Amino acid sequence: MAQVLRPDVGELEVRIQASPETVFEFLTDAEKVTRWKGTAAELDPRPGGIYRISGMGGSTALGEFVSIEPPTRVVFTWGWEGDEDVPPGSSTVEVTLTPDGDETVLRLVHRDLPEGQGIKHEQGWSHYIPRLAAVAAGNDPGPDPWAH
Amino acid sequence: MEAALKAIAEPRRRAILRLVRDGELTAGAIASHFEVTRPAISQHLSVLKDAGLLSERRDGTKRIYRLRPEGFEDVRAFLEQMWGERLQVLKAEAEAEERRKHGAGSASRRR
Repeated sequence: MAQVLRPDVGELEVRIQASPETVFEFLTDAEKVTRWKGTAAELDPRPGGIYRISGMGGSTALGEFVSIEPPTRVVFTWGWEGDEDVPPGSSTVEVTLTPDGDETVLRLVHRDLPEGQGIKHEQGWSHYIPRLAAVAAGNDPGPDPWAH
Repeated sequence: MEAALKAIAEPRRRAILRLVRDGELTAGAIASHFEVTRPAISQHLSVLKDAGLLSERRDGTKRIYRLRPEGFEDVRAFLEQMWGERLQVLKAEAEAEERRKHGAGSASRRR
């Protein structure tokens, strides 16, 4: 399978075999949003409108839309509800959609993140960092229960 | 990671990084892709260099830039962890949605 994510310049780039209009719906439509992030979403897709997405690795993302430019660009603030280190509004996510033939190139940038704070809530890191520490300490972390 | 995230917050700087992704370029060649002034591009190059995202070498009077992939390690790890798998799912869902929109009868859309 061809590589579909190119994070080598600090942004994620995904090529999607769909029109920008179709992809855009997945950024602003509550039902479609939960098909790829979280389990429940309430969102008000207009500048200044609030969104709340629960069920993201055990946390709830909360923020507001900054800019909505169908079908090419969405900017929203980002943070975790009830979290002091990355509170709602403390960082910003920008998604741009560029048509290329019958594909759309999606680029995602996550900026203004407080130093060292971005990853700790993700269950992936809470799972892997202790394992990494075990390896670094010369111990065998054992088989990865998450591996297939 | 903070300096890198700040550096890539500016859209033109991200465009510069994409230009040098596949090989090195002179400052002039980079500037030729943009409508803004050469000093503005020099400023962006300087920010990217200071953040460790670009390396610079000189050839006579030319300054030549290339991507410094190791400068992106933390940002890349964060992005992949936070968004990588989710965007893969978004891709699959959006492509399924597109196929539904165009109907099962559209053979050209089928793969």
